Amino acid sequence: MSLLAAAGVVCGYGAADEILHGADLAVRPGELVAIIGPNGAGKSTLLKAIAGMLRLKRGTICFDGRPIERTSAGERARMGIVFVPQEANVFPTMTVSENLEMGGFLEPRQARQKIAVLSERFPVLGEKRRAAARTLSGGQRQVLAMAMALMVGPRLLLLDEPSAGLAPLAADKLFATIGAIHREGTAIAMVEQNALSALAIADRGVVLVDGRAARTGPAHAMAEDPEVRRLFLGG
Amino acid sequence: MIAAFLQAVVNGALAGSVLALPALGFNTVYAVLRFPNFAVAGLATIGAYAGWVANALWGWPAPAAILAAFVAGGAAGALCDAAALKPLRPLGALAAAIGSVALNIVLENAVRFAFGNNPRGYDLPVFRDWRFGAIGIGPQEVEDAAIALLAMAAVFLLLRTTRIGKAMRAVSDNATLAESKGIDPVRVAWAANILGLGLCGIGGMLVALDTSLDPLTGFRVLLSIFAAAVVGGLGSIPGAVAGAFVVGIGEELSTLVVAPTYRTAMGFLAILIVLSFRPRGLLGERAY
Repeated sequence: MSLLAAAGVVCGYGAADEILHGADLAVRPGELVAIIGPNGAGKSTLLKAIAGMLRLKRGTICFDGRPIERTSAGERARMGIVFVPQEANVFPTMTVSENLEMGGFLEPRQARQKIAVLSERFPVLGEKRRAAARTLSGGQRQVLAMAMALMVGPRLLLLDEPSAGLAPLAADKLFATIGAIHREGTAIAMVEQNALSALAIADRGVVLVDGRAARTGPAHAMAEDPEVRRLFLGG
Repeated sequence: MIAAFLQAVVNGALAGSVLALPALGFNTVYAVLRFPNFAVAGLATIGAYAGWVANALWGWPAPAAILAAFVAGGAAGALCDAAALKPLRPLGALAAAIGSVALNIVLENAVRFAFGNNPRGYDLPVFRDWRFGAIGIGPQEVEDAAIALLAMAAVFLLLRTTRIGKAMRAVSDNATLAESKGIDPVRVAWAANILGLGLCGIGGMLVALDTSLDPLTGFRVLLSIFAAAVVGGLGSIPGAVAGAFVVGIGEELSTLVVAPTYRTAMGFLAILIVLSFRPRGLLGERAY
């Protein structure tokens, strides 16, 4: 059974505006799904709809078999759906350790111990724990955003273009981290421009075109597929 | 001349420390709810009258009366916000700001209805000024400044160390992200209103102790509060304190060169000068 099952999702940002025209997405427990596709296909919009930041016009989203499309973003966070936006994903004027604390707002009792564990796992966060998040580099900020999501032990992690704006080396490190989080058993739905790197660590790929899931299949097969390569992977 | 200058600086610093409280309250509300709440004037007046009732009618000592001013300002402010301003906020900051001007008129006249137009006096002893050479300092003003500084320290401690304080800073930094981390925006709004508008209540009482208590006590300092908030950086907590000192000292210094009637115009002059060089205020919009 799927952990997440979104079906026929129609939504957009304004009253007249529709970006998703019936998108489907399923994520099984512990699965890493890479969502790829051209610019403007609605990849980020789909994640925001699942996270509860956009109201659906039509369609259903089930988590653990329960419909959640009418619940708020906060309630979905309580269920364990944790969204890491592409931009503005940290609290800039707060320190690194305060950011982690806010990441674990729903589980304050374990915060101290979790911060210690995460600082060990990501040493840069330990070194910079008293620095304001706005002073971090792009790569460090993405690591912080990821660590904030791990503060609550997420059941489904929604990552929106985690490697956007990162230097190749920093992006590689980040994909390695995401792969490690996945191996620990966390289900992940990840939107990425960097399709090859995303498919390399994913179990399954979903190609989103014009607000609909155009195709889906095992990640390694998709990475080899000549048509997918021609369309999205640059050759 | 030097003595007059120093005297003006001292008076300005004392006035600025009192002004800092309502400015801090104004910016706390702005930081979290993203609109300028001009009802701070009426709430400052309500705080001043609550302190007066506690002190002059019930005989409470000054510290307890100040607590009453905080509770009255915070409770009245948060309830009025929930009833009158919250429904306007989805329409944008301008709608809520205009609503707050109307709310301010309602509050002012509610005070008029309850207490009349005559000035009132607190039941506190009057002391002679302390003299340091040519400079005189009123013990009441020093006490007011000390109370203001204590309240400010408490606010900073609250924002830095408590769960709700950090949640308020998180909402001010990035409301969408805060909500997605499970921080309840409604609770944070209540907390910001109670804290911010309670500070306005204390500020109103301190202003009334310094000047006079009547239904326009808060309104008379509204422009200075707004100027302090803008000069320091709208929504910035340390900015409000810095802005209050700039406006307080600027207003006092202006009396050396122009007639005291132009005093409040100095607030606008301060806005003009500071925003010409730093369009986001002295400390920007950094909440904390």
